[in-house]
Amino acid sequence: MGQRVPVANPRRLRVAVQKVRSGALKHMVLIVVSVVFGFPLLWMALTSLKSNTQALAVPVVWWPHPFLWDNYPQVLSVVPFYRFFLNTLMYAGVTIVGVCISSSLVAYGFSRLRWRGRDALFYVMLSTLLIPFFATLIPLFVMYKHFHWVGTYLPLMVPTFFGSSVFSTFLLRQFFMTIPESLSDAARVDGANEFFIYSRIILPMAKPAMATVILFQFIYCWNDYIGPLVYINSTVWYPLSLGLNLILGTYATNWPWVMAAATAATVPIVILFFFTQRSFMGGIAIQGTGNKG
Amino acid sequence: MRVGLLFVSPWILGFLAFFAYPFFATLYYSFTNFDGMQNAHVIGFANYLALFHDSLFRTAVFNTFYYTAFELPLSTIVALGLALLLNMNVRGRAIYRTIFYIPSIVPLVASCMIFVWIFNPTSGIVNSMLNGLHIPGPDWFFSIAWSKPSFILLGLWGLGQPMVIYLASLQGISKDMYEVACLEGAGPFQRLRYVTLPLISPIILFNVVLQLVLCVSYFTQAQVIESQDVGGPGTSTWFFVQYLYEQAFEFLKFGYASAMGFFLFVITGLVTVLLFKSSSRWVYYEREQN
Repeated sequence: MGQRVPVANPRRLRVAVQKVRSGALKHMVLIVVSVVFGFPLLWMALTSLKSNTQALAVPVVWWPHPFLWDNYPQVLSVVPFYRFFLNTLMYAGVTIVGVCISSSLVAYGFSRLRWRGRDALFYVMLSTLLIPFFATLIPLFVMYKHFHWVGTYLPLMVPTFFGSSVFSTFLLRQFFMTIPESLSDAARVDGANEFFIYSRIILPMAKPAMATVILFQFIYCWNDYIGPLVYINSTVWYPLSLGLNLILGTYATNWPWVMAAATAATVPIVILFFFTQRSFMGGIAIQGTGNKG
Repeated sequence: MRVGLLFVSPWILGFLAFFAYPFFATLYYSFTNFDGMQNAHVIGFANYLALFHDSLFRTAVFNTFYYTAFELPLSTIVALGLALLLNMNVRGRAIYRTIFYIPSIVPLVASCMIFVWIFNPTSGIVNSMLNGLHIPGPDWFFSIAWSKPSFILLGLWGLGQPMVIYLASLQGISKDMYEVACLEGAGPFQRLRYVTLPLISPIILFNVVLQLVLCVSYFTQAQVIESQDVGGPGTSTWFFVQYLYEQAFEFLKFGYASAMGFFLFVITGLVTVLLFKSSSRWVYYEREQN
């Protein structure tokens, strides 16, 4: 048929049709995968607004009606959920301070200064990433017990002041290395010492990288389960993760409640993600490829 | 330069106190009958010998091996596949990327809750849909045969981290490479096989090693689901680190658990070394630096 249309070049037409078709095919694949990945969260939100009879109904009731917003205040008041929120914020807040101070200092030493053994030590630091949490847990627990720290957040907080967040240090180091050496040299000529250069020149330039570090640390604390499970034993000090666990154990037959609790713990982090997506993705990319951006 | 050491000193102190000391202490405890209270008595290799005769330990090792053997290759393929999809030149890429990524920032306990619910044998949406297609759905988390695959599915849902790393590395490949390959007449699969995969192979190695450490110490999801009795029947999803945790913190067998901890370290180290050794055969390192 293409031959009868004098204007259209049949070859070009075929290419155009192919392009549209392959574009549509790509979107189809992407949409199907998106549904698979997005559906569990959608179903969580929908279930959280149903009555339990609706949630368990056969055949499935897809749309909650009426919307039972009451599930939220109900499930959030059967356990001290707001307390769990506050505990988590406190845990995150203190460790963010620790990570920002220690990781930036250490990253500075590993990137802006030259000294013997620097690279060897840096590799030692990276290799600690490969040591499983549980391989060193028992002596640490015994040690913290001697300090009377078990039952408090200290075992989870103190190490962050000593560069325990290797990913943050690595990320900051990669960022510091992109800052031209001439800046430091100029300051050195003017008689500035290294601490001055670190705190007055490098840190102010590293604000975006610091923001990424803060973000990752916040999410780490929000999701951390193993640490609090081992060290926190009284309910009033539970962080969100252990609080959710408590709800799952107690109300596992009331699925709308369970889903309301899951939604309440997920929504803040997803909102935060939407506002910070750029530094988020950039940060992960740096960790993986060692490149900026 | 003393100043360099001074800047790094917080980490050095932390490394000594929170890594080096506990590492050697684990090794020492593993040769004792330490219970966390009294002084430890050295009992030689008794803990290690006991491990080999402990059938629960063998089950836990087998389950962990099973999980790793499936999750590691599958997660690599899925994360890489998603990254390749996102690397295509289509409109709305950022939206798709966000959707694929979000599951991995959902708190782990919440994602356990969600999966236990959607895979609920009687009223879960997955089995309802399967019933609609006249396929009898399995009991998923509640079935001995299906509980491990259920955990693997849960793991595959949260692959945002490696996916974004792969995507960044794919975007770092210069377009010239593909143009040359096209001129040589390479089709899409040849371009993937001979251009893309070799160029990102160092990143694959990096991700595989990190995923491996995660798989071998698989804990949180299994612990949440089993401790709240919403899945994992019998010992079907009894993983290595859970056993370590139970021996240490429920039965206070610190010596025995330390032997497991050291075993965990040795296994992780061994597999990592093997991966790096084999990497000279499949990882392509660019000659020029920078």
